[in-house]
Amino acid sequence: MSHDSHAPQYRMGLPIPHSKLGMWLFLATEIMFFSAFIGAYIVLRAGSPGWPTDAEVTHLRIWAGGLNTFVLILSSYFVVLALEGMKADNFAKARRYLGLTLLLACVFLGIKAYEYSGKFKYDILPGHIPETPQMAIDKSMREMKQVIDHRTVALSNSKPPAKAEPANPDESVELAGVTDEKTEELAPPLEEQRQKLQAELSAADTSESRKKELTAYFDLDAKYRELNQKALDESITVPAMNQELDTLKKNPEYGSFLAPVHYLQPIIYGNLFASVYFLLTGFHALHVIIGMILFVIVLLQGKRLSEKWNDYVENIGLYWHFVDLVWIFLFPLIYII
Amino acid sequence: MSESQSHSYVKYSSIFFALCICTVLSILFDVIDLRAHNLFGLNGVVLLSAGVLSIACAKALFVLIYFMHLKFEGKWKYVLLSPTIVLAMSLTVAITPDIGIHYYTNESPQIDYLEQAQQAALKEGPARNAEKSHVE
Repeated sequence: MSHDSHAPQYRMGLPIPHSKLGMWLFLATEIMFFSAFIGAYIVLRAGSPGWPTDAEVTHLRIWAGGLNTFVLILSSYFVVLALEGMKADNFAKARRYLGLTLLLACVFLGIKAYEYSGKFKYDILPGHIPETPQMAIDKSMREMKQVIDHRTVALSNSKPPAKAEPANPDESVELAGVTDEKTEELAPPLEEQRQKLQAELSAADTSESRKKELTAYFDLDAKYRELNQKALDESITVPAMNQELDTLKKNPEYGSFLAPVHYLQPIIYGNLFASVYFLLTGFHALHVIIGMILFVIVLLQGKRLSEKWNDYVENIGLYWHFVDLVWIFLFPLIYII
Repeated sequence: MSESQSHSYVKYSSIFFALCICTVLSILFDVIDLRAHNLFGLNGVVLLSAGVLSIACAKALFVLIYFMHLKFEGKWKYVLLSPTIVLAMSLTVAITPDIGIHYYTNESPQIDYLEQAQQAALKEGPARNAEKSHVE
């Protein structure tokens, strides 16, 4: 066929490497993925009067967000310099800047982890946040009850063996297998254990240290019952309850056991806020981690890094800029507005 | 070749500084805290949002155009990105009347909580201040 030999050599597709086109198509899907979450956040936020914005309530620190923005911008800049190094066959420079980018990604995750730990400390987690004062008081009473239940079990199990054996052995076996979720079912045996502890306290042959432990336990239990009664009567306010709990936590005998009881802070729309916060920043952090893996892959090449990796570095650079781009929007939306 | 590279090197650093300045600007918006003020007859929150989001858009454009080299790419960038951006925006636009604006009477427990909280705050003005002072 004559037209075969005379036909011009068409280059099919776009004048860019296939891998780059693939990366851009992937980023297009990523834009839609993140904008779905960001858009949902904006819309939920606009439709929720009283959304928590006070930094004292949300424990969002603007300096942490701002610092993370700077860290990501700097890392984006370093990625560009690394790509310049690759294109100029200066692979040592490329490696240096890719290494710095990886380091900055670690810094970003470190600051993020610090922020997350604050959220965990104040129990700002989806589904954990009381939205009214009454809910806050109920929650603290629930947490306090759990502390006391655990203490009951711990004290009963730490009994001297000579005393533990004659007591009903079946019961303790049953107790050992019970998890937190079944606290309700635990109630009768716990009450029995409590009575046994009471008997032990009044027995003459109990050692002094054991008595001290038991006294602290019963003091705490009495305090709990008193506060719980007030909570049931709705005769205590959140600030008053916070003050009571503060005093209890400072008690040298049993204060340390009360660490799992959180500071009371009702937050209207707090659960929705926490869900959105963890969803957005969590998915972003996941992207950062994936980016770090991509950087590690190229850094593992060491001195073998050559121009064959140019496209790879360009593509992970594009990905990393996108991760930066998402944070550029998350920072004002979550921390400032 | 080397000339153009050294040229772009300088440009990259100026883009980096521009991005830093933008970040400082958006933090300044937070420091000024427009929420309480209503300027030019506009709600403070709207002003704040418009301000910081336009800064964010400027930063995003800097990154897209220079760091992601869209300035130097062919026309395919429009084909690829414009439908993406339309589709991305459309979801937000589509759910705004239902959830963002509430064209119906918005009934949610949180709205009742807010009313209760506001009433309680009115009733116990001084007590509420005491509560604030207790917060770390």
